[in-house]
Amino acid sequence: MKVELQNLTKIFPSRNKKAGGEVVAVNDFTFTIPDGKLIGLLGPSGCGKSTTLYMISGLQKPSGGKIFFGDDDVTELAAEDRGVGLVFQNYALYPHMTVKQNILFPLQNLKGADKLPKDVMLERAYEAAKLVQIDELMDRKPSELSGGQQQRVAIARALVKMPKVLLLDEPLSNLDARLRLQTREEIRRIQKETGITTIFVTHDQEEAMSISDLIVVMKLGVVQQIGKPQDVYDNPTNLFVAKFLGTPPVNVFEGSVKGGKLYIGDAAVLETPGVDDQDVFVGIRPEGFILDNNGPLTCKLNSVEVMGRDVSVVSTHSASLNPVVRSIIDADNQVAAGATVSYSLKPHKVFLFGKADESRIYFGVKSDG
Amino acid sequence: MVESKHSWKAWIYLAPAIVLLLIFTVWPIINTLRMAFLEGYSTMGAVGGATYEFGIGNFKQVLEYKDFLTCLGNTMLLCVLTVPISTILALLIAVCLNAIKPLQRLLQTIFFLPYVTNSIAIGMVFAAMFNMVGSAFGGENELIITAGIINNVLGFFGMDPVNWINAGSSYGANMVVMVVYIVWNALPFKILILLGGLQSINKQYYDAAKVDGTSRRRVFTRITVPLLSPMLAYVVITDFIGGFKEYSSIVGIFGEDMGPTGDPRRLNTMVGFIYDALANHQGRASAAALILFGIIFVVTLINLYVSKKKTHY
Amino acid sequence: MSELKNKTMQEKDLKKVSAMSKIGKIVVMVLLYAFLITMAVIVIFPFYFMLISSVKTLEEYQRSIPTLWPEVIRLSNYVEAFNTGNLGRLFVNTMIVGIVSTLLSLVITVLSAFAFARLEFKGKNALFAALLGTMMIPGELFTITNYATVNDFGWMNTYTVLIVPFLVSIFYIYLLRQNFMQIPNELYLAAKVDGTSDIKYLWKVMIPLALPTLISITILKMMGAWNSYVWPRLVANEEAYQLITNGLRNAFTDVDGNANIPVQMAAVAIVSFPLFLVFIFLRKYIMKGVSRSGIKG
Repeated sequence: MKVELQNLTKIFPSRNKKAGGEVVAVNDFTFTIPDGKLIGLLGPSGCGKSTTLYMISGLQKPSGGKIFFGDDDVTELAAEDRGVGLVFQNYALYPHMTVKQNILFPLQNLKGADKLPKDVMLERAYEAAKLVQIDELMDRKPSELSGGQQQRVAIARALVKMPKVLLLDEPLSNLDARLRLQTREEIRRIQKETGITTIFVTHDQEEAMSISDLIVVMKLGVVQQIGKPQDVYDNPTNLFVAKFLGTPPVNVFEGSVKGGKLYIGDAAVLETPGVDDQDVFVGIRPEGFILDNNGPLTCKLNSVEVMGRDVSVVSTHSASLNPVVRSIIDADNQVAAGATVSYSLKPHKVFLFGKADESRIYFGVKSDG
Repeated sequence: MVESKHSWKAWIYLAPAIVLLLIFTVWPIINTLRMAFLEGYSTMGAVGGATYEFGIGNFKQVLEYKDFLTCLGNTMLLCVLTVPISTILALLIAVCLNAIKPLQRLLQTIFFLPYVTNSIAIGMVFAAMFNMVGSAFGGENELIITAGIINNVLGFFGMDPVNWINAGSSYGANMVVMVVYIVWNALPFKILILLGGLQSINKQYYDAAKVDGTSRRRVFTRITVPLLSPMLAYVVITDFIGGFKEYSSIVGIFGEDMGPTGDPRRLNTMVGFIYDALANHQGRASAAALILFGIIFVVTLINLYVSKKKTHY
Repeated sequence: MSELKNKTMQEKDLKKVSAMSKIGKIVVMVLLYAFLITMAVIVIFPFYFMLISSVKTLEEYQRSIPTLWPEVIRLSNYVEAFNTGNLGRLFVNTMIVGIVSTLLSLVITVLSAFAFARLEFKGKNALFAALLGTMMIPGELFTITNYATVNDFGWMNTYTVLIVPFLVSIFYIYLLRQNFMQIPNELYLAAKVDGTSDIKYLWKVMIPLALPTLISITILKMMGAWNSYVWPRLVANEEAYQLITNGLRNAFTDVDGNANIPVQMAAVAIVSFPLFLVFIFLRKYIMKGVSRSGIKG
């Protein structure tokens, strides 16, 4: 099922009644989610991603704009009539019911023509349970399950009624690191197998990058960028997106463009044809540095961290806006011991952002860069 | 914690409480057991030098006593009627209160109002509401002027007036009045506890149910009630214990005669029975008190057992 | 073709469904409010009846069709009630008993709760468990012996008999102990290191932190004195020591309709009025105290 959001807006009255005013949680969000894809809504807390999810589920009413499932306008439709499956951050499994009863619950709600015979319901419950590999645990209570197992039960409960859209709210945030890795693969697999359009919310960029077909980066209610994870990573539209995606994070410097050249400090580090003279923020991905003794960018060397395949070089630079400049280079390169380290830069890993609005300034990259 | 050489200090802090407890709590427990098993014991007699045989005569006597059976019957009937009615009503009101936004605070306050009242004083108000004005004897020159406000309301719906509490009233009518008053009295506590319980249920369960298209009825029976069951068990247990000790609400309506004019003691309860025997028949009163304790103990155990079976999660 | 048809039908369906669920919601809301407001009216009606009846003339009260608002407001009923019931004397008695027993009870409760929460002594847990165990026993069981005891002490018809036997409430000790236990022990140890005495620590740290509980106990204890009926009736029936509830019941005992009910209702209103004041101004503490501790009235 294709999901279309048109100018979706949500305004909350301010919590502080005396002060008045309002909070715009989601501002004019327009996007069409293609059928059968896995979409990650990504952003720091308070960016409106959960609100967006809840509006799609029908639990919250938009202040403006429309939501379409396929060609049907569901904006005015209550949650129970939308046919969505929702997995809550804390799973919201009914504590007094067994796993089986939890999974059966949505099916038992069906009425009239949709009503299913008992054996069909049971069959479908077991099918859903098998899909998430918890069919051995059907008679347990949620309190007897691990966090990962509870998560699977929640997914099974959402899937059992064959929803048009599956929504996941921070599905991995309550799991430990090892389970998180495992479960995110699992979500990817389940989504692939069922082909249900799935939207999940997360504040963890790695999580979103690793499994999504498309990611939507949000900040303070406004969509910053939508695209395939790699595209967004390679081509952030503004400083926020550049900073939000990637570990280790992008290195940000104060810089300026003079006569088609980018200066960091006094050194001209890169040719930037077609950019007017101005002060800029410079973002350089950690993998954008090339060790080069004659390179233009010289930093004070702090330490070298060997991480197997790669080497992470930690240094400082007076124009850096991050506490340290961190580069990742191939372990084959020997970092010469010394007080400084010099780099040349890969142009396509260097982004320029305007000082005023922090939006991207593009420059012509020579194809051999 | 602090080293134990100061432990005498703790006993100084506890001294006033312990002295009072020894006199007014520990001694009565021992003494009640003693008096209950001394046949026909009375303090006056004991002071006068009479001696008493050890035995279970008091218990036998109490159980054979017709008055006691009346009291036991009244108490049980009141419990069996008021506990379910007030619990169901309180549950409904709490659930409805929890579902609304405007006026919630105001209504919550109104429903809590009866909690802070004096059960004797408001009992008199209820008595006045159920009362006939004038005389119920209906002698030649004593006319019933009005049938009382409750009967006026009944009349408004085309029903005949009922003699609720006056001389010549029926036992059933008396019971109705008591049930209404006791339920009215029990509601605020229960609503408060149940509403608190409802508000502490994670809202996500309801969101989850909503997304799954659960009907209101099913949400209520399959989610709200099970999740509220510990609180429900709690109010039911406390209400049963309170119900077995019912006394002052009856005094509030009927006065210390514990019944309508012409038929005193008709609505007497277990506690009333104990108070009646208190001054002169301590043996009998003690036996009755122990029986009351036994009943409360057993009912509480049953309640705990049932609720443990129904509320485990 | 058929697909298209299907779609338009579905669209219609969706509109219908959303309209239906909206109407359903409105109907449910109307029913909810109707039920709640009806119940609220029933709950509040006795108070209303008490107030309007208390200012009616006897003639107006006895009319066959009752008036919902008094034609003449007759405040002299209150004066009559006050004099008939000797309510002034009863009020003074009740206040004396209430204030003295509340103060003493607070002192005893605080000291005991402190000992149980912060001090270490042999048999502490056993003693505490035994005390909690006695809470299961109905109070009537104690009354039988206590009645004889206070008689032996020669306390009949004194203030003492109304105050002393109920000074220790295990329940309040329990409540306050729980509250004290939530205060981190490090605070106590720090105070010890600084050489603060126990009493000073109790007064400066623990009592301020447990103030809400103490206020709840104070209110409930005062209300207890105001509403107590059974024990005072047994041991202090002389008018000089009678408490307000007993006085009220004794002065207006006539169950049958011959009494001057407006005056009686005025007396009830006078007795209820302080409770309403407490309710209005201290509702927060009462509700908190009740819901946290589950004290049944």
